[in-house]
Amino acid sequence: MVSKQRLGVIVVDPLPVVRAGLALMIDDRPDMDVLAEAGTAEEALEAIPRIRRSNVCVLVSLGFEGEHDSYWLIRTIRDHFPGLAVLGCGANADPLSISRALFSGADGFLDKSSDPVEFLQSLRRGATGEMVLAGPPTEWLGAIAEGIERRRLVETTLTDREREVLKVAAEGLTARQIASRLGVRERTVTTHLGRIYSKLGVGTRVAAIRLATDAGLVSVGMPE
Amino acid sequence: MATGVGDGLQVGVMERRQASSVLGAVAADVASARVLIVADQPVLRNVIRTACGASQHLEVAAEVASGREALDAYRFLFPDLVLIDVSLPDTSGLEVARRLRREVPRPKILVLSGRTDDETLFESIRVGVDGYLEKTAGVQQVVAALERLAAGERLITPEQERSAIEELGRLVRRAREASDILPSIAPREIEILEHLGSGLTIRQVANRLGVSTRTVEARAAKLYRKLDASNRVQALAKAADLGLIELG
Repeated sequence: MVSKQRLGVIVVDPLPVVRAGLALMIDDRPDMDVLAEAGTAEEALEAIPRIRRSNVCVLVSLGFEGEHDSYWLIRTIRDHFPGLAVLGCGANADPLSISRALFSGADGFLDKSSDPVEFLQSLRRGATGEMVLAGPPTEWLGAIAEGIERRRLVETTLTDREREVLKVAAEGLTARQIASRLGVRERTVTTHLGRIYSKLGVGTRVAAIRLATDAGLVSVGMPE
Repeated sequence: MATGVGDGLQVGVMERRQASSVLGAVAADVASARVLIVADQPVLRNVIRTACGASQHLEVAAEVASGREALDAYRFLFPDLVLIDVSLPDTSGLEVARRLRREVPRPKILVLSGRTDDETLFESIRVGVDGYLEKTAGVQQVVAALERLAAGERLITPEQERSAIEELGRLVRRAREASDILPSIAPREIEILEHLGSGLTIRQVANRLGVSTRTVEARAAKLYRKLDASNRVQALAKAADLGLIELG
């Protein structure tokens, strides 16, 4: 789908210098320009409805954290503005983050470590809905695909309750502690865990948690 | 010189490996790259072996006709390059490639495919092969590819990368669709689908679940609508595609 209309880009990045840099790069091209910049997810969601052009692409940095993080923003844009092209934009992002961005609804991913010319070419192609991956080496395709399939596995085969149990288990608690936290019997927890292992095709709790972490169900790191 | 796996070979192999490591990079263009051919069809093996023989830079270390033999041969001979036919009698060539990738030292892997579909290419790139050729490419192209691999070149073309990324796009779309649809599908309905998928009739499913056939019919119809399918076959195909059930 080629559009004669200039491509309008909405740049969403927490860092002002990065926004300025991307804007310079994009405005320099004759066939695209920056329609709006946003430094937070909220600003992005306010800016998007105001746009009148039809050929638009939103560039979402993966650098947003917290409750309204980048993945939340991508999902929200996908849900509320389904016709809009969304591209994830990272800085030396790893395969897991990339697969999360794609699973959340990004049409593609551009890394700031890529060559600027390739970045812009991929931006153009990504805006038409074609899946693009600029920056990540081909060798990462396997890991990215793996991340997406694991996410699907965790989201489609586990029940809400099982996901809950897994999330708590990921904190390193014993079955008894999990049971206490969730207000159920220990026996119930071990039954759930058994079903979880079987559905995810793993044999140990560590493997199940690993899979859940890879799928982005639980996050590794400092609790807020 | 092609050779089988055996005792007399052992000494030669050890000397060879020690020699290569001592000479190192300086001798890279003098020592030929050793190739292990993994292919079921004797004609294919012969043709490739002969062509490799004619090359200054390649030397066939061994030929095997199955996946199991491939791993054994690799661990015995440690060739630099492994040429694998995707379709083998005992396993998939890609499974062999996957295992070989975990070996230390890791060989360069060139995969030969008789198919022309994007999925095989995508799977190969996922596994992490170093080159992918369709059999229609011809022997000379295969040998040229092996030589380039030996010289350390990257063989995955931009077109292949583009095609693989497109296929990734399809995978992402299916995964998202599955996770979008799933909250609206009850576990009971998945159960019905699974039973239908294993070939049971509506009546048999009803008996199995202890409900009336009318109930099963109604739920099935509702399910087909959710899956955007107009009949059972479509629904099962869609559900399998989305990973909601497994078929066969």
